[in-house]
Amino acid sequence: MTQSAAARTAAEIPRARSKRRRFFDSRVPGVVLLLALLCLWEASARSGLVESVNWPPFSAVVASLVAGLLDGELLPVVLSTLWRMARGYAIGCAVGVAIGAAIALSRPLRLLLQPTIELLRPVPIPAIIPPLVFLLGLDDRLRIFSIAFASFFPVALNTHAGVRAVEPIYHQVARTFGVPHLTSLRRVVFPAALPFILAGLRTSLGIAFVVTVIAEMIVGQEGLGYYLVTMQFAMRAPEMYAGILLLTCVAYLLNRAFVAWEARAIRWARLVETMQEGAR
Amino acid sequence: MAVTAGAMPASGATTQSAGARLRVEALGKAFAGPDGAAVEAIGSVTLDVAPGEFVAVVGPSGCGKSTLLQIIAGLLLPSSGRVLLGDRDVTGEPAHMVYLFQQYSKSLLPWMTVENNVMFAFRHRMKVSQADALTRCRDYLAMVGLGDSGHHYPWQLSGGMQQRVAIARALAAEPQVLLMDEPFSSVDALTRLDLHSLILDLWTKKHFTAVLVTHDVDEAIFLADRVVVLTQRPAQLAEAVATKLSRPRHSIETREAPEFLALRHRLLDHLLTRSGRTRDANPR
Repeated sequence: MTQSAAARTAAEIPRARSKRRRFFDSRVPGVVLLLALLCLWEASARSGLVESVNWPPFSAVVASLVAGLLDGELLPVVLSTLWRMARGYAIGCAVGVAIGAAIALSRPLRLLLQPTIELLRPVPIPAIIPPLVFLLGLDDRLRIFSIAFASFFPVALNTHAGVRAVEPIYHQVARTFGVPHLTSLRRVVFPAALPFILAGLRTSLGIAFVVTVIAEMIVGQEGLGYYLVTMQFAMRAPEMYAGILLLTCVAYLLNRAFVAWEARAIRWARLVETMQEGAR
Repeated sequence: MAVTAGAMPASGATTQSAGARLRVEALGKAFAGPDGAAVEAIGSVTLDVAPGEFVAVVGPSGCGKSTLLQIIAGLLLPSSGRVLLGDRDVTGEPAHMVYLFQQYSKSLLPWMTVENNVMFAFRHRMKVSQADALTRCRDYLAMVGLGDSGHHYPWQLSGGMQQRVAIARALAAEPQVLLMDEPFSSVDALTRLDLHSLILDLWTKKHFTAVLVTHDVDEAIFLADRVVVLTQRPAQLAEAVATKLSRPRHSIETREAPEFLALRHRLLDHLLTRSGRTRDANPR
């Protein structure tokens, strides 16, 4: 620990030499670039550099977003999207963890299910939505199924890998104390595989978001996806961009919240790693 | 063909014994080798451990002594022979026996606090309230000198402390037999001496039967009532010697006693020079 801290300090000394280097080694340039791009957007629309009714200045988009949120038009739309996504994501993840763990623990199940999973995995979701309409109709069942289907694979594959990577000694510890299988699954296998499982859940969160919006665009009359398409048809560009801006913010916040939660849930794994590195 | 080691009466410290008689009968183990041919790890080992006895098993590295211990613990199945605890056949069924691992840093579960690690060992067996379980857990932690560390995570503790937690956890399950697989080999020399005294202290208090696998002859003599020497692979019993050192044993004096040194000389001589010939003298 102390050694690695000393090494870090040593590495930081040359950096402190120049202010310019310190600037480029911080988060500031990233934020500056973002602000510059937004200014460019604003300027290009205002100066007539891009002359189009479909290219409103950023300030107009923000105004439209605020208005949409205040008059209660946007909020139900966002909530409907999030609620739809949450259901599909939850189902996909639950089934993914269960199947992933099952195929990791049972060789016959692995041999039975793996070919099907490997075959279905690369199927692009938008491609199967039209045929799914025949099976599931046009309502929420179709959209939730699509979200669950897409969320399933990263979770199942990561859970599979995580459960198989559990240190054999953990299984032996459970056995030497005569811990029942189910208890051992819950208290040993699951926590040991959790870093992998959470990585799968995080990947699926992004995918679920994308699939939700796409599914809403293709079928149905609810949610942000549908809202975007409607605004596009109505030539209401500021509202459309406001929808996209909101979507971006929500996705960003969801991911940040997940990462923060993940870091807390598997704090031990990160710290064990640091300790082992320190010991080397 | 195999030398049979009979049980020795346990020494004075363990007159009132909760340990159980452990018998290993003609135990053999063969693994499939890289070319598919069977590789014999254990020839045929017969060993009788009296209730409350402390037996150390030493042998050249790679001789299969850990394999032997894992089979006794039920973590591996034997190819032949059987393990008896009292009168019951326990082959492959871990019952009242706990295995103490060499890699303490891996055998403690890093996502659980020290207290939860200890409770993990017995909570499923005993229908006790959370408060009672916690009291019991703290008693055992106090016994290994870690009464204050229950809320920490194992990786926040030093190596020696982690092995103390592992010992507390093993004993909290109240095993009749404690099986130790080189449990002191990865701590520093001074901590090792501390842990030796600790394990003897707990053994005296708790009267469990103890089997220790080690490559450290000094450790074997210091701790055990009897030292069993295995040959090179496939493991056979080469020799069994009663240490006959008085108890309680003292970290420094015991190790300087003439009997200790004489036994050390004899066993090291055996391991360093005669193990090859011993194997030749016992062709299979």
